[in-house]
Amino acid sequence: MTTSLITPADPAAPQSPGGAKLRRPDSRGLPVSARDALSITGVWALLIIATTIVRPDFLSTQSLLAVTFTMSISGILAVSQAIIVISGGLLDLSLPVSLILSAWATVTALNNGLPTAVAIPIGIVTGMAWGGLNGLIVVFGKLNPIIVTLATGFGGLAVMLIFFKSAQIPSTSELRLYGLGRFLGLPNIFWPMLIVIVLGGLAFAYTRWGRRLIAVGGNPSAAKARGINLRRMRFASFIGAGAVAGLAGVMFSAVTPSFTPAAGASFQLIVIGAVILAGISLSGGKGNLLVLVLSVGFLATIPTSIAFFGLAPAWALVFQGALLIIAVGIDGYRLKRTAR
Amino acid sequence: MTHFTRGRLARLGLVAVAAASLMLAGCSTVGSTSGASTDSATDSTFTVGFAVGGQPDADWQDLQGEVAKGLAEQRGWNFVELSNDNSEATATKNADIFIQKGVNMVMMFNGQPSANPVIAKKYADAGIPVVTFDIAQPGWYFVGVDNATAGTDGGTALGNLAKSKWNCQVDLVISAEGTAAGQINTWRTGNARDAVKKVCPNIPEANYVSYEADGNLTTSLANAPGVFAAHPDAKNILVVGLNDQAVVGALQAATQLGRDGSIMGWGQDGGLITGANVDPHLAGSVMYFLEGYPAEAFKIADEIAAGKAPAVKDTGTDPAASVQPCPVTAAQAAAIPNINDRVSQLAAAPQGTTEYDLFCKA
Amino acid sequence: MTATAPTLFDDPVVPPLRRILNSFRGPVGSISATLVVTLLVGLIWVGPSFFSPSNIQIVGVSVAIPLIVGVMASFALLAGVVDLSIGSMVGFGAVVFNQLVATGMNAWLVALITVGVGVVVGLTNAFVIVRFGAEPLAVTLGMLTLLRGLSQVVVVSAPPSTLIEPLYNVTQGAIAGFPTLLLIGIGVTLIAAGIVSKTRIGRKVQAVGGDDRAAARAGISVSKVRVIALVASSVGAAVGGILYVGQLGSASNVLGTGLEFQIYAALMIGGYSITRGGVGNPIGGLLGLLVVAGITNILNVTFTDPNYLDLITAIILVAAVLVDRFRGGDAFE
Repeated sequence: MTTSLITPADPAAPQSPGGAKLRRPDSRGLPVSARDALSITGVWALLIIATTIVRPDFLSTQSLLAVTFTMSISGILAVSQAIIVISGGLLDLSLPVSLILSAWATVTALNNGLPTAVAIPIGIVTGMAWGGLNGLIVVFGKLNPIIVTLATGFGGLAVMLIFFKSAQIPSTSELRLYGLGRFLGLPNIFWPMLIVIVLGGLAFAYTRWGRRLIAVGGNPSAAKARGINLRRMRFASFIGAGAVAGLAGVMFSAVTPSFTPAAGASFQLIVIGAVILAGISLSGGKGNLLVLVLSVGFLATIPTSIAFFGLAPAWALVFQGALLIIAVGIDGYRLKRTAR
Repeated sequence: MTHFTRGRLARLGLVAVAAASLMLAGCSTVGSTSGASTDSATDSTFTVGFAVGGQPDADWQDLQGEVAKGLAEQRGWNFVELSNDNSEATATKNADIFIQKGVNMVMMFNGQPSANPVIAKKYADAGIPVVTFDIAQPGWYFVGVDNATAGTDGGTALGNLAKSKWNCQVDLVISAEGTAAGQINTWRTGNARDAVKKVCPNIPEANYVSYEADGNLTTSLANAPGVFAAHPDAKNILVVGLNDQAVVGALQAATQLGRDGSIMGWGQDGGLITGANVDPHLAGSVMYFLEGYPAEAFKIADEIAAGKAPAVKDTGTDPAASVQPCPVTAAQAAAIPNINDRVSQLAAAPQGTTEYDLFCKA
Repeated sequence: MTATAPTLFDDPVVPPLRRILNSFRGPVGSISATLVVTLLVGLIWVGPSFFSPSNIQIVGVSVAIPLIVGVMASFALLAGVVDLSIGSMVGFGAVVFNQLVATGMNAWLVALITVGVGVVVGLTNAFVIVRFGAEPLAVTLGMLTLLRGLSQVVVVSAPPSTLIEPLYNVTQGAIAGFPTLLLIGIGVTLIAAGIVSKTRIGRKVQAVGGDDRAAARAGISVSKVRVIALVASSVGAAVGGILYVGQLGSASNVLGTGLEFQIYAALMIGGYSITRGGVGNPIGGLLGLLVVAGITNILNVTFTDPNYLDLITAIILVAAVLVDRFRGGDAFE
């Protein structure tokens, strides 16, 4: 039990059998990820139908814009989180810090007259550096990532609060104009999210690195036995996830004209919720980014539906929390049953 | 027994880290807390305890502390500062710390005022006068803007714009509320809404909608898109709200959804109306010069220090010192320096000057 | 009682004095040393007034409620099921208590209702975690979100003010110059420590958290232990909420935000783990909370930027888990 750090809640729960579980069929012969995708799409459709019954004008380009805009940044962050979770890094609780730190670096570069083509890489590299810091502590301290990122999360926020009060992107910069624009009828920032998810999904499925990350996440000792360098993979996953979070920071700075160090906090729960809802198990080695985009989209639809129902936005938190509980309950139950 | 010695080494390491990090914090901040370690109970120098709001989304709150520190230094007083950390528990603890320190008076902004009765009780027992900014509490000197007037002024200005530009043909009036602010929200957002109604009485009741913006841009930007989507046919749109951040969040969302063809917002507090990056749809705001509030509070402090404490005026309608609201259009605001420059100009101004004198009268 | 395998609970016979000394060799030892250093730094930096009655009162009043909540939550940690919802439960419990008391209902009855809400929340967590075998971290994260949302739905504007004189006196007062609430908190800690180390129940909890399969083989009902632990955790948070209302005279909808991480950081400094059950002792938790509270107080009374507190806590937390690892705790690879 040295590496299974999330205790299975029931002794009958299975140990990760190792390797990629992506194609593990269940009793009905469907791949697990396909069924996850179907069930999320089903619940999502239910929500849309229910809202449309109450307000027939829900089905409009405006709603589509509202949902896709809400999805964009949390979607990129969810990919970053998914990289950590799938590769067995449990969770990164310091994601709000990487988001704001990268956004701040981008904005600071722009404010100092650097061209956009330089400012964007600066933001992404800042995210990588933050991921690298977490990775260093985790790998060389051999410490649990949840605890490490919990500490770097509030430590990092404290440092940011000491050094800057608020940051503003220059309103005439190219990045800012990009953040305000639309392409093919959807917000500009939606497309980088889609590209990241598609590229990430392909990388997990078809590249050697991707498959290795899944192997390391699913069963570290088996992966080690196959000659995979665990430390290097772990470190790489943190840097890679950091780069993705850095991109999220760049996009965040493009759409948020003024932000403070604490502005990232509101993304924490929604991102972790999206990852878990997508069936990406916290014990690692399992997950599909296509399902992730569906779960992000579903969670982003809730606040819009709430507005159509005319309810207070706080209800969105209630529904999102309840859904998360139900989803992990169903997921756990399914695992338990297939184990028998 | 290598295991044991290793554990011992590690234990030493932990102790060393704890000590080192404490020392580090001590050394790096000792310079900035001049005179803090001398216990004022033993010397006769007037000591001001200042509690900043500590709400992470408001940069003016820390600046209030800086302004107050400068004013105390001008007078040769001791100055100690804590942060209420946007938490009622911390605000209550801070009262105990100021009382233990033996300060002569306290000034604060408390954004989570639910514990104010308890805090007031503590200060009353200790006989320490308190100045509160913007959120009234019986027994405390109220220093703040006349929020009710500020709301009405902003709404009237926005209504007049709608009248001259759109002939009062308004499809949607959005209120970006910050309900946690309680009465202040009613005054600022509600009065602005009522003022729009008064200027343009023909806008149907159904065209008024509210949503929770929580007084910060990030939350406002997250919640506003749904509001626009839920009213897809609205063209001429007005936005009022608790503060500039809330209003700009809605304006941003409109831009994202392509609904910025004809939208106008009028903010409150002036947080985002100065500087180089003003939202083009923010038609104006009501500046309170929040960071400059301490200048008013120190006028009361001067009287208390001279032994002639003024009578306590503790309500928004009968304030101890009323900060003049300064309604400005975006064009007028362009001439007003940004928040950091204002702080340094105020510090350089003669004693008794307020930011209204410096930046609004002109 | 269920039959237990003798190998699990066989205590080696050790003389009492030796046993006390032994307990200091573990995390309790290093955290005691850290506390001593903290106090010394306080004495040097702040001066003798660091130990003045008024200062002890300030520290005691602010640490007591997190202590009570933390000790109750530590049962869940010990049983290997982390409960992230405690911060929101503190807030929601306080909101329920405050709003109902403001309607004029009897305070005792309302307190009973609030504890009942805690039981329901704990049972809900336990039902999904134990019955369905779901990830505790994920379930309680959902509960954290849900309860925070409910608090915001209930309290939309300024919350009512309910100063309950007797409760205020308990939560803010002192007995013989020592903060009353801290005395209660220490009492709760000692009882919890006794339960953990001296009773069968306590050892069952440890066994379940340490290795649930082995515990199940030894005939312990893993489900039952975890249900009890999760309910204890929620009820502790609900009680914490009631005490906060006593201390603050009201409850806003942000009360308790982030409290779970502050408490767990302190508990982990004191030798617990949020990712591994079966380790930690309530005494260590108490010491961990005192270290953080001591550092907070040093920064407060010297009027230092409070942001340094989080930075220092973060550094000490990483150092503490590193020390735990060197001592033979689980290594993460």
